[in-house]
Amino acid sequence: MLKRTLPSLPACLAMLGIALTLAPLIPGLLWVLAPALNVDTWQALVQDNQFASALLSTLGSAVGSTLLALVCASLVTVMLYPGRGWLLVQRQLPVFLAFPHIAFAIGIAFLIAPSGWLARGLANLLEWSSPPQWISIRDPYAISLTLTMAIKETWFLLWIMATLLGEQAISRQITLANSLGYSRAQVWVSALFPQLLPRMGWPLVAVLAYSLSVVDMAVILGPSTPPTLAVLSWQWLTDPNEMTQAKGAAAALCLMLLLGLLILAGRGIWWGIKTLYKNPSGVRQRGLAFKSRRLFGLSVFVPGWLSLAILLLWSVAGGWFFPRLFPASLSLKSFSNADFEPMFTALWLGAATVMIALPLTLAWLEWGSRKHHGWLYAPLILPSLPIAAAQYHVLLAINLDSTAVGVIWSHLTWTFPYMLLVLVGPYYSFDTRYLCTAQALGHSRFSACLSIKWPMLIRPILAAMAVGFAVSVAQYLPTLFSGGGRFATVTTEAVALSAGGNRRVLAVQSLLQTALPLCAFMLAIGLTAWYARNRQGLK
Amino acid sequence: MTTLSIRDLKLTKLNGAPLLGPLSFDIAPGEVMTLMGVSGVGKSTVLNWLIGASQPMFMVEGEAWLGNLRVDVLPTEQRRIGILFQDDLLFPHFNVGDNLAYALPADTKGSKARQRAIKEVLTSAGLSDFYDRDPATLSGGQRARVSLLRALIAEPQALLMDEPFSKLDSTLRQQFRSFVYERIDERKIPTLLVTHDAEDIPHGGNVLELHEGGGVAKIKGTEGASLTC
Repeated sequence: MLKRTLPSLPACLAMLGIALTLAPLIPGLLWVLAPALNVDTWQALVQDNQFASALLSTLGSAVGSTLLALVCASLVTVMLYPGRGWLLVQRQLPVFLAFPHIAFAIGIAFLIAPSGWLARGLANLLEWSSPPQWISIRDPYAISLTLTMAIKETWFLLWIMATLLGEQAISRQITLANSLGYSRAQVWVSALFPQLLPRMGWPLVAVLAYSLSVVDMAVILGPSTPPTLAVLSWQWLTDPNEMTQAKGAAAALCLMLLLGLLILAGRGIWWGIKTLYKNPSGVRQRGLAFKSRRLFGLSVFVPGWLSLAILLLWSVAGGWFFPRLFPASLSLKSFSNADFEPMFTALWLGAATVMIALPLTLAWLEWGSRKHHGWLYAPLILPSLPIAAAQYHVLLAINLDSTAVGVIWSHLTWTFPYMLLVLVGPYYSFDTRYLCTAQALGHSRFSACLSIKWPMLIRPILAAMAVGFAVSVAQYLPTLFSGGGRFATVTTEAVALSAGGNRRVLAVQSLLQTALPLCAFMLAIGLTAWYARNRQGLK
Repeated sequence: MTTLSIRDLKLTKLNGAPLLGPLSFDIAPGEVMTLMGVSGVGKSTVLNWLIGASQPMFMVEGEAWLGNLRVDVLPTEQRRIGILFQDDLLFPHFNVGDNLAYALPADTKGSKARQRAIKEVLTSAGLSDFYDRDPATLSGGQRARVSLLRALIAEPQALLMDEPFSKLDSTLRQQFRSFVYERIDERKIPTLLVTHDAEDIPHGGNVLELHEGGGVAKIKGTEGASLTC
């Protein structure tokens, strides 16, 4: 039997990520969720007159937005890949991936609110003099929340598709299947999705978990009486009353159960589809000649551009009264009066988080267990609220609450698994023969990783770093909890301001919140391009 | 150069079913031993075991010796066994010269001396002026040659080849074959070649043919490599 000598230091480092980010959460979670393990609490939860409709709006918005996002992302890919349209998608994607959920939601609110752009447009057409009475944001059926999340997650899934498509010779498979007489749509359904969808499983679960447990976006766009289950849980958990807190814990547990059930249902459906379509019938279907494919595919970005545009307009608007489409005057006053402190705080918090998370991520992928790593994604598939509360209690116990170290640690809980999620596909499909060749040439595993494997994976590594940074910047609850309110970032500022009425200040903070991750993604792309400038094999 | 000796090599599937062996054979310096057999018979596993790559699907027993040094217990990087795959696997982020420099042992010191050594090797293979080239811009034949040069410049004590010719077209295959065998003969490197193509067998070379179900091995060729089954 061949014995493998593992370098002990990297092996330890591999475990360090878990020991640091995940292990402390277990006692913290037990502490937070313990009150929910009580029949009376559940009875109180079920009998609460807000529970039923909160549960319904959560289910509807989470399942609806996830399915919609998957369908939209798939449609766009089928229509545009491979081709020039797909390149256009890829060129625009970084902008919208970097666009934080909160800023996007605020932009959408500016668009569809009774005094928003949409109403102003209609008012000009129909000669209204005052804003309409419609309930477009915070609508009781969570429609605006569902659609907004669906659009945002479509971009995320498109990006996952792009990463998967980038690493394989899929376009050759399309050509081959086309030559066998299959149309574009049929090739995708029969040959490509069966390959791609299983690999999109984890990203899809992350999307579902996010939309189930989202608090910040639901506060901005979701229904308010009653709110979604996640928001309700948040309100209850931060209530001084112990019984109410217990109800909050039960609601959080409920979210976790829902997620589990939905994942099971999804797997069941996928299994059913696979067994149904086992034997290719050989039937060639006529492809639809669809001329405006590109236009249709690219429309997925329209809400994003509009949201960005309205944020920009409000940030430089002088006087702007209903029903005018554009501000009467423009000024930079909102920017010159703006508070930039939250931006710098978010910047150094994010940079520090990524710098710690990167070695942890690489060490785990290289030396950690390949079989049993699914549970590392736990923070992505658990409601962030109880985790943030758990973190707070852990920090309290070791006297690190309200410190920078504490906040960075609390961000690591999400940054680390997100970076893993982004990297794991490209990392595991890396051709191991390269490493074998390097070792056969006399280099140690570690040195071969440093000079061969990691440089060859520069694109996904930099992408993972950019995502990690964006994730850190976007953290709302943990920054609030672990920072004890002492670390105001662009994100906490934007949510805090969204309750008030000053659109100009809100627009400026939203734009600053957008600028940070946007710059990170641009930097990642720029650095990759610079590194690969003379190397076609890396492109 | 020393002889590469395989002693009592036995492959077993994880469920306990025997796959191959016990098998012992020697490869003399400069000799190319060819390993043939249908897919799934364990050829790649033998190579993986010899190079020290992990193989979760099989249990492997046996010893590999380079002269007086037992190598199968060493980590890959200390075995001094080179490997050539079906694909050239040139590192795409390095230029051609850096690919070779990565392989050149560190006892050639100083960047000038190292560059000179590499340029000599490139020139000897008809690839002068290729130092700064991006590997992706090379033709298939050129890439194959650089790949072999990279394996050889590391001064391996033995060489493994996993169907190194199968992806080249027939004219190129002919040329590259003689390119490879000339250099192996020159440096007297014991070499194990895995292939499906009988044309790859060097003239008068020994052949091990692995058969399904426990592995009968037989021997052809002229000189007597000692073989026990």
